[in-house]
Amino acid sequence: MIPEEPERMNRWVVEFCRFARAHGLSAGVKETLDSLAAVRLAGMSERNTLPLALRAVVCSSKDEWDRFDDIFRAFWNAADVPAPKAPPTRQERRSRGATGEQRAGGAERPIVTGTGSGRAEEEGGRAITGASALERLRKTDFSLVPQQDAEALERLSLRLFRRMALRLSRRLRIANTGVGPLDLRRTIRRGIPRGGELIELKYRVRKRKPGRLVILLDVSGSMNPYSLFLLRFAYALQKHFQRVRTFLFSTQLVDITPTLKTSSLAEALVALSREDAGWAGGTKIGESLGEFLRLYERKLLSRDTLLMILSDGWDTGEPEVLAAELAAANRRVGKLIWLNPLLGLEGYEPITRGMSAALPFIDVFAPAHNLESLLALERHLAFGGAR
Amino acid sequence: MTHSPKLPRADGIPDVDTLIRRFEEKGYVTDRALATAIFLGIRLGKPVLIEGHAGLGKTEVAKVLAAVLNTRLIRLQCYEGLDVNSAVYEWNYQKQLLAIKIEEGTGDSIEEKEKHIFSREFLLERPLLQSISAEDASPVLLVDEIDRADEAFEAFLLELLSDFQISVPEMGTIRARHIPYVILTSNRTRELGDALKRRCIYHWIDYPSLEKELQIVRARLPEIEERLGREIVEYVHAVRELPLAKPPGVAETLDWAAALGALSKAHLDAEAAEQTLSCLSKSKEDVTKIKTHGIENLLSTSS
Repeated sequence: MIPEEPERMNRWVVEFCRFARAHGLSAGVKETLDSLAAVRLAGMSERNTLPLALRAVVCSSKDEWDRFDDIFRAFWNAADVPAPKAPPTRQERRSRGATGEQRAGGAERPIVTGTGSGRAEEEGGRAITGASALERLRKTDFSLVPQQDAEALERLSLRLFRRMALRLSRRLRIANTGVGPLDLRRTIRRGIPRGGELIELKYRVRKRKPGRLVILLDVSGSMNPYSLFLLRFAYALQKHFQRVRTFLFSTQLVDITPTLKTSSLAEALVALSREDAGWAGGTKIGESLGEFLRLYERKLLSRDTLLMILSDGWDTGEPEVLAAELAAANRRVGKLIWLNPLLGLEGYEPITRGMSAALPFIDVFAPAHNLESLLALERHLAFGGAR
Repeated sequence: MTHSPKLPRADGIPDVDTLIRRFEEKGYVTDRALATAIFLGIRLGKPVLIEGHAGLGKTEVAKVLAAVLNTRLIRLQCYEGLDVNSAVYEWNYQKQLLAIKIEEGTGDSIEEKEKHIFSREFLLERPLLQSISAEDASPVLLVDEIDRADEAFEAFLLELLSDFQISVPEMGTIRARHIPYVILTSNRTRELGDALKRRCIYHWIDYPSLEKELQIVRARLPEIEERLGREIVEYVHAVRELPLAKPPGVAETLDWAAALGALSKAHLDAEAAEQTLSCLSKSKEDVTKIKTHGIENLLSTSS
C-alpha cells in the first residue's frame, strides 16, 4: 500500500528517489522535488499511475526507462510496508517535503535493505564508485578487468566515449564555419531589387564536408577479450558522426553500420552476436581488406576518409597480400590508423609477420588495450577532412 | 511587457483518466503511461520529451493535445542547419526598406524612424517567437525531431524553455504572457544533451500491444472489418519480430490496412499480402527479408 497521509507519502517518495539514485538513475534533488509534485498530482488516487508518474519524472533516457521497472520493483519488495516505522518527530515534520532531501539522509535508515548495494553518494547522481577506482579502471587492460567491475567499466566507457564524440563533432563544426571574403558579385546582385542598397552581404564560404570514418574491427579469436569493448567504442563514434561506416571481419567481412545505427547498444550487441561474422575464428586480414576494397573502395574511400583498423595483427594469411592491400588502401585514404591492443603489453614488439609487413603503410600505430588509450585517440580523430 | 507569465492552466483535465478519455474522443488511443507523462507535463508546466521509433504517433500527440485543450498548435520542424532566422524571428527587410523610402519626406527624427523600423510591425515571427507571444491562451508548441537540429540550437532551446523570453537586440526582450505547453519529439538519431533531457518529463513510446493496436485500427479505420483488422495487426506484430532495419510502425499498419481495405479484401491471404507489402516496408532489403521468411509462414505463426 502506498501511504495515504501526505507526510509519509513524501518520505516514501524521497526514499524511492534515493534508492533510484543508488541504482544509477539520475534522480537528483530536482527530480526528487518533481516526483513529490507529480505524486501529489497523479499518484494519490490511482495506484497504477504512481510508478508511471515516477518513471516519467525520474527517467531521462531510453536506457533509464528500461531499467526503471526493475528498480521500482526492487524498492517495492525491499520496502514491503513502505511507510517508515518510526513515527516522524516534530522536528522532521516539514511542510510538504520541499526541503526534505538532505535532512532525510541522516535522520533514518533507508528502508532499503537486502539489495547489496551500499549507500550512494549524497548527491551527484551516478558516481557509485570512488574516483580513484574509476581512474584505475581507465587504465586496466580490457582483458584483465575482473568480472565484478565489468559493468562499471562499461558505464564509464560509454559516458567517456560519448563525451569524446561530442567534443569531436563540436570541433568539426567550428572548423567548418569559416567565413571567407565578401562576395561582391552576389551582394550587388541581391541589392538590385532593393534599389541598389546593399542590405544583404554575401560571403564566399569554403564548404568543408566533415571527414568520413571507416572502421574495420577484427573479431577473430585472438581479439576476443577486446572486441566487445572496441565494438562499444565503434558504437559511440557511430552514434555521433553522420559519416561512419563500421565493418567486422575475421575470415569474412560484414557491414554492421545499419545494426549500430538503428538499435540501442544492448540490442545491437545481441543482433551482432547472431550475425555470422566468424566470431572467434581465424583471421585473414589481407584478404578481408582486399574484399573491403573491392566492394567499397569507390564508394567509401577518398582523401577525406580516415580508415581505422582495429586488430592485433595475428594473421593466418600471407603477409605479402596484407602489405599490398594496405598499400592500396593507404593510397586512397587521408589517413590510415591501426590500433593494436597488444601494443599496450609491456615488451610487445610488432614483429609478427603480418604486423611487420603492415607497418610501412600505416600513418598512426597506436595501442587500444584500455579505456585511456582509446580516449587518447581523440586527437587523431579530430581531422577536418579537407586537404 | 511587465506581466508575469501565466502558467498554462489545462482547465477541465483534473486527472489522468480524463485525459485518456479526452484523447480517445479525438480518435487517439493512448495508454496510461503516455497519458500520465502528458498530464504531468501540462500540470507541472514542464516540457514533455517523447522518444521512440518513427511512425508511432509522436507528432500526433501534440496535435491531439492542442485539439483537446482547444488551443493553437505551433510546430517547429527541426532539421540539420536550423538557425535562429527560421526558428525564432527575422526582420522583414523589404518592408523596412519600403518604410524608409516612404518616411524620407517626413520630419521625424532619425531616432523615431529607427524605432519605427525596428518595431514589432516589421518582425517576422517564426514558431518559437510565436509560441511565447500568444495573447489569449497558452498554445501547444511542438518541437519535432529535435535530434536533427544541432547542439547549438539545443542550447538555445534550453534557454528558452527555462526563461520563456527571447531578446531581440534592436528591440528589447519579449517575455511570454502565457507559457506554452511544450512537446519535444526525437527519433534518437543522436543522443540529446543531459541538461535538456533532465528538464523534461520523459516518455519512451514503444510499439503498442496487440489489443491496443487493434483498437487504434478500429478507431482510425472503422470501415475495416473486425476479422481483417485482427489479421493485419497480428501479421504486423510477427513482422516486427524479424530483424529489420526499420520495423513497421503504427503508421505503416494503418497505411497497409487502408490499402487492403481499398482492395476490398475480406481477409488477409498470401497473395494480398505480397501485393501490398510495399505499404508495410519502404526499404528493398526489408521487403526481401519479409519475403524470404515466407509470407505464409508469418501468416500462420500469427494466426
